[in-house]
Amino acid sequence: MSYLIASNLDEVISSLRDGSGKARVVAGATDLYLQDLPYGLVDLSALPETTVIEEKDGFVKLGAAVTHTAAASSPLVLSRARALAEGCETIGSLQIRNIGTIGGNVVNAAPAADAAVALIGLGAEAVIIDIEGNRRQESVENLYWAYNRSVVDSTREVMLSLQFKPCLGGEGSAFTRFAARRALALPMVNASARVKLENGLVKEARLVAAPVNPAPTRLLKTEELIIGRSINEETISMVEKAAAEEVEVRDSLLRCSARYRLHLVGVLVSRALKTAADRALDPGKAGE
Amino acid sequence: MILKTPEKNTHQYGKVEGTGYQSPEVWSKVTGKAVYGIDLAMPGMLHGKILRSPHPHARIKKVDTTAAKALPGVRAVLTGAELENRPFGIAVEDELPLAVDSVRYIGDEVAAVAAVDLRTAERAIKAIKVEYEELPAVYDPSEALQVGAPQLHDNFPGNVAWQREMERGSSDAVFAGADLVVEENFTIPAINATYLEPIACVAVDDPYTGITLHTALQSPDAVRNIVAKALNYPLSKVNINGPVMGGGFGGRVYGNLKVYILSALLAINSGSPVKIQLTREEEFTAGRPMIAAAIKMKMAVKSDGTILGREADIITDNGAYSGQAPWVSKTLSERNDSVYRIPSIKTRVRLAYTNKIPTGQYRAYGNQAANFAAESLIDMAAKKLGLDPLEMRLKNCVREGDITVHGLKIGKCGLSECLQAAAREIGWDHKKTGRGYGLSVAIHANGSLVFDKKFRGASALARLELDGRVTLFSGEQDYGQGTHAAFAQIAARALDVNPSQVTVESKETKTAPFSTGALAMRQTTVGGKAIQLAAEDLREKIFKAAAELAGEPVTMGNGVLYSITGQNLELAEIAYHYHNTTSGLSLTGEGKFVPEESDYDESGYGNISVAYSYAAHAVEVEVDKTTGALTINRLVAAHDSGRIVNHLTSRGQVYGGVAQGIGMSCFEGYLFDEGRVANASLVDYKIPTALDLPEIKPLFIEVEDPAGPYGSKGLGEIVMVPVLGAVANAAADAAGVWITDLPLTAEKIYQAMAGWECEI
Amino acid sequence: MNNLKKQVLIFQLNGEPMGILADPAESLLTILREKLGLYGTKAGCGKGECGACTVLLDDRAVNSCLVPAGKVQGRKVETIENLSQGGKVHPIQEEFVEKGAVQCGFCSPGMVMSAHALLKENPQPNPEQVRVAISGNLCRCSGYKQIEEAILSAAEKM
Repeated sequence: MSYLIASNLDEVISSLRDGSGKARVVAGATDLYLQDLPYGLVDLSALPETTVIEEKDGFVKLGAAVTHTAAASSPLVLSRARALAEGCETIGSLQIRNIGTIGGNVVNAAPAADAAVALIGLGAEAVIIDIEGNRRQESVENLYWAYNRSVVDSTREVMLSLQFKPCLGGEGSAFTRFAARRALALPMVNASARVKLENGLVKEARLVAAPVNPAPTRLLKTEELIIGRSINEETISMVEKAAAEEVEVRDSLLRCSARYRLHLVGVLVSRALKTAADRALDPGKAGE
Repeated sequence: MILKTPEKNTHQYGKVEGTGYQSPEVWSKVTGKAVYGIDLAMPGMLHGKILRSPHPHARIKKVDTTAAKALPGVRAVLTGAELENRPFGIAVEDELPLAVDSVRYIGDEVAAVAAVDLRTAERAIKAIKVEYEELPAVYDPSEALQVGAPQLHDNFPGNVAWQREMERGSSDAVFAGADLVVEENFTIPAINATYLEPIACVAVDDPYTGITLHTALQSPDAVRNIVAKALNYPLSKVNINGPVMGGGFGGRVYGNLKVYILSALLAINSGSPVKIQLTREEEFTAGRPMIAAAIKMKMAVKSDGTILGREADIITDNGAYSGQAPWVSKTLSERNDSVYRIPSIKTRVRLAYTNKIPTGQYRAYGNQAANFAAESLIDMAAKKLGLDPLEMRLKNCVREGDITVHGLKIGKCGLSECLQAAAREIGWDHKKTGRGYGLSVAIHANGSLVFDKKFRGASALARLELDGRVTLFSGEQDYGQGTHAAFAQIAARALDVNPSQVTVESKETKTAPFSTGALAMRQTTVGGKAIQLAAEDLREKIFKAAAELAGEPVTMGNGVLYSITGQNLELAEIAYHYHNTTSGLSLTGEGKFVPEESDYDESGYGNISVAYSYAAHAVEVEVDKTTGALTINRLVAAHDSGRIVNHLTSRGQVYGGVAQGIGMSCFEGYLFDEGRVANASLVDYKIPTALDLPEIKPLFIEVEDPAGPYGSKGLGEIVMVPVLGAVANAAADAAGVWITDLPLTAEKIYQAMAGWECEI
Repeated sequence: MNNLKKQVLIFQLNGEPMGILADPAESLLTILREKLGLYGTKAGCGKGECGACTVLLDDRAVNSCLVPAGKVQGRKVETIENLSQGGKVHPIQEEFVEKGAVQCGFCSPGMVMSAHALLKENPQPNPEQVRVAISGNLCRCSGYKQIEEAILSAAEKM
C-alpha cells in the first residue's frame, strides 16, 4: 500500500498508469474504511485545480476536492447555487464535512448523497480526465452505474471538477432533506430544485429526489408539468402529487415505509421548488 | 480563637465551589490523561477475538480449529467442546462460556482466539471452520410462547424464562363497578445503553496468585462472583481492577460476562495477558440491551377521575439468554403501580426466550417503559372524562404515609409539589395554541432488595491518612454520575473538612468493601449513608485520639481541632500520634448501613427499599402536520430526590437522563430483520445529538428524607422515567392521535394523523 | 509508486515536527494511539459516527478514525494532549470542569477539540453555532447542556 499526495495532475495520471488498475484516486478518503484497500492511493486534494471555487466563462466551477465545509460557506456558492450550500451543510457531521469532498460525494455514488442531489438539481457536469489524457464532460446524473457504483473508474479516471451555470436573475435553487435526527443521519428523502421564472411563470425547472433509485432521480414529468405555470398553492399541491406518482420506492426497515417515503417525496420536492421560486423572485433571498 | 483557613486545593487543577464540588478525576478526563479500558495494555499482552454464530438457531455439528491453530502468532484457540461446561448466569444460569451443542442467536459465542495482534486474531477467527445444521428459529416473543414454537433451552419448556401472576385487591369486582375502563396495547423496543466506550477487558492470570480482570464495571463484586464460579476459582483468587469507565447507564452493571470469562480463559490457556475489546457493531449485536416489551393494560376509573384498579398482561422479550431480564420484567410490571393510590391490580408478565440478542439492563430498569403505557392511559382516561390531566394526577398520586398496592411505604414525598411545579413552569394554565402539552409522574426505589434479600445495605471505611487527608474506601463506582464527589462532600460535612481533602477509593474488588453496585439508584442513599456513618465514626475516633494527645476535651472546625484551652491540633498531628502509639495503625471509621425497614413476602408484597424518589415532568411539543415530525420545545423536570448534595452534578444527571428519555421516546430502539440486528451502528441506532434536544429545565423539590445521608436521595435513574409518558401525552395532545408504539417517529405520527392503516 | 508497505510520514504534531514510518492506510487515530502513545484521543466506533476521536487537522476538526495516515503528510495535527501542557490547562477545559460538562469523560477530549476548532474560527459563537459545532460528537451522559454552557463561557473568557 502506498499513499501519494499528488502535487500535479501529471503525477496523478502517471501514478494511476503505474498502478495498472491497482491504484485509485481519493480526495477526502473518508469512506476508505468501508472498502478493501487497493495497492495504492493517489490523493488529489492538494492539487490547486481541485480545490478552486470560481465563476468563469459563464460557469460556477468547483474542484472535485472542495470540501463540504468549503462549499457550504463559499459566498459564491451561497449566492449562485444556494442548493449546493444547503446540501453540503447537512452532510454527516462537521468533522466529516471538513474532510469529505463534493467530488467524493458524487463518485461514491450513494443513492441519496446530499451534495450530489443538489448538483444534479443545478444541472452540474463533471470534468473527467482518463489516464490516456482524454478529457470529457458528463452530466452528474449520468455518472451512476449501479447502487453505490459510479461510472467513473477511479483506477483510470480522475474527476477534476464540477461545473454548472450560476443561478442569476430570475433563477433560484434550493435543497431539502428529511431525516430522523438533525445530525449524523442519512435522509429518508432529500430533494433539490432549480427554477427559472419569467414574468412570474416557470420557464425552466429541474427537480430531483432521492433515494428513489440507485441514483438521485430527475422528476422529468413533474418538471414538464409546471412549465408555464406560476408557483402558487395549486401548482405546489399538483407537484406534491405528481412527484410522488413519478417515482417508485421500496420499504426500508431502517428509514421508513415506501408509502411514507412517497408522501415525503411530494412534500420535499414541492418545498424545494417553493423555496427555489421564492429565491428566483427575490434574488436578495438567494443567500439567506 | 483563630481558625485556620481550610486547605483550598491539593490538586493543581482542582477547584471547590460550594455544592458544585468536582472530583479531581474530571481533570484527568478533560485533559485526556484518564486511562479507560480501551487504553489499557500490558507487557506481552495478546489480543482476543470471538467467533460468533451467523445463524439465529443452529446445531453445531463440527468445529475445526486446525487451520487457526497453525497460523503463526496464534497463542490460544478455545471452543465449547474443549471447555468444562460450567453454566453461569445472573438471574438464571442459562449460559455457557462458548456454545457447545447449539447456537441461539446471530452473534452467539462459538470460539475464541488469542493472538499476538488483532489482525492475526481476526485471521484466525476466519480460519475456524464450523459446520452448522440450521434449526427453526422464533423471533416474536408471543409466538415463542405458543405451543409448537421452536424451543431454545431444554430446561425452560415453552420458552418461558420467567413468569409471574399477581392480584392485589379484587380486580374483577373493581372493573365491573367502574364508570370508565380504558384499555390499550403498547409496545416498547429493546434499548441499547449506548455507553460511548466499548467494553474492553484485559485478563492477567498468574497460576500462583490468581487472576485479575482489568475492566470497568458498575457491579465489580457481582461480576467477580460469577466469573469465579464460571472459572471454578476461589473467590479470593479473582480480582477486578476497574480503569476509568466510559459510561454505564445500567449496561455495565454486569457488562458483558462472556467477554470477561473468555478473556480470563484465554489468559489462563495462553499464559499471557489477553485483551478483548468489543467493536461498536458487537456492542449492538452481542451486547446486552434492555428487553423489549408488549404491554396490554387497562384501567378502571370513577367519573371523578379516581383510579380504581389496573390490569396488565405483559410479554417481555428475553432474547437467547436471560441476563437480568427477569428482574427488569419484575420492575417493569409493578413499580409504576406505586406512584398512584391504586387499590387493586392484576398483572401477568411472561418473559419469553427468542432467537435474538440476549438482554440485560438499562437505566431505570423498565420503569420508563411502563411509564409510557401507564401514563398514556391516564391521559386517555382524562380525555374521555373531560378532566384536566394535571388534576387527575394530583387526585391520585401517592403522599407521605401511604402504603402502596405493592406494600411500598411512602415516606417523605414531594410528588404533588413536583407536579404543581412542573405544570406551573411549562405554563399549564396558559397553553399556547398549536402546541401540545403532556405530564407524567414517577416513583423509583433507592436500592432494591430484588437482587439479594439478605444483603440490603452498604458499608464503608474512612481512614485518616498521615498527611491529614481522609480516604474513603467504598465499593461504589463512579463513572461520571458524581457519586464520589457526593461521597467526599458527605464525609467532609461529617468531618468538618473541605471535600477536596477527601479521596474515594473503590478501584479493586480485593481491597474495596463489598458493594451491590451502581444500580437501583442506591448509591447516594444507601452507599452515601454508609459513608456518613463511617465518617461520623472516624470523627469520634479523631476526638478521642485528639483528647488523649491534648490531655483535655476538643472540638472541631474546618478540619482543625482545638482544645478548650486554645491548643490547635491539625489532623496530621493526630494521625501521627495514633500511628506512633499503635505502632502503625491508622484511625479508621467504619460505617455500616443495614436498612431494617425493607422486606417483602413471597408474593413480592412489601417495602422493598429504604426510600423512594419522585418526579414529575412537563413537556411542550409541536407536530408538523405535513410530515408528522415531532419537535420537543421544552421539558421541565421536577424532582424530589431529597436534599440535593451537588447542584452541578445533579443538573447534569437531569439533562443527561432526560436526553436518554427523549432518545427512547423519539429515536431509539432495536430493529430486527429475521433475528439479525438491522441497525447495528451509531448512525442507524440513533441517540440524540446536540441538535436534537429541547430546552431542559431541572427543578429540585428538596424534601429532606431522613433515610438518606443528610436528607438526600437518589436521582440518576428516575430522571429518564417520566420523559416517556410526558412526551407521549404531549405528542398526542398536539397530533390529536395516540401513538402506542415506541419510538414516536414522524412516520408513525403522520400515518396515524392521515388515518393510514398501520404498515409497520 | 513503490511496493513498500510503510512510508515515512512527516507532519507537525502538537507544534513539533514528527516523522514516523507507518502504513499510510492506517487511520490517523491508530497512529496517534498505538504508534505515538497519545491515548487521550478516544476511539468509540471507528467509522466517523461518534466524534470521540476528533483532532484538528490544519486547524479544522476531523474524525481521526477516517483520516488515512498518508493524508497528514506535510500537514498540522493537534490533539488533546496539546491543550494542557506545562501544568496549565486550556480555558475550554477549565470551563468544562467549572460547568459540570464532564461526566464519564469519554467524549470529553473529542468534545474539547471540537470546541477548540470552533473558537479558533469563531471566537464569539452563539448557542446554535456551538450546538452545530459539537453535533458530530455524541455524548450519552450529559444531554450536552453543560457542554454548551462551558463552551460559551470559555469563549467569553478567552
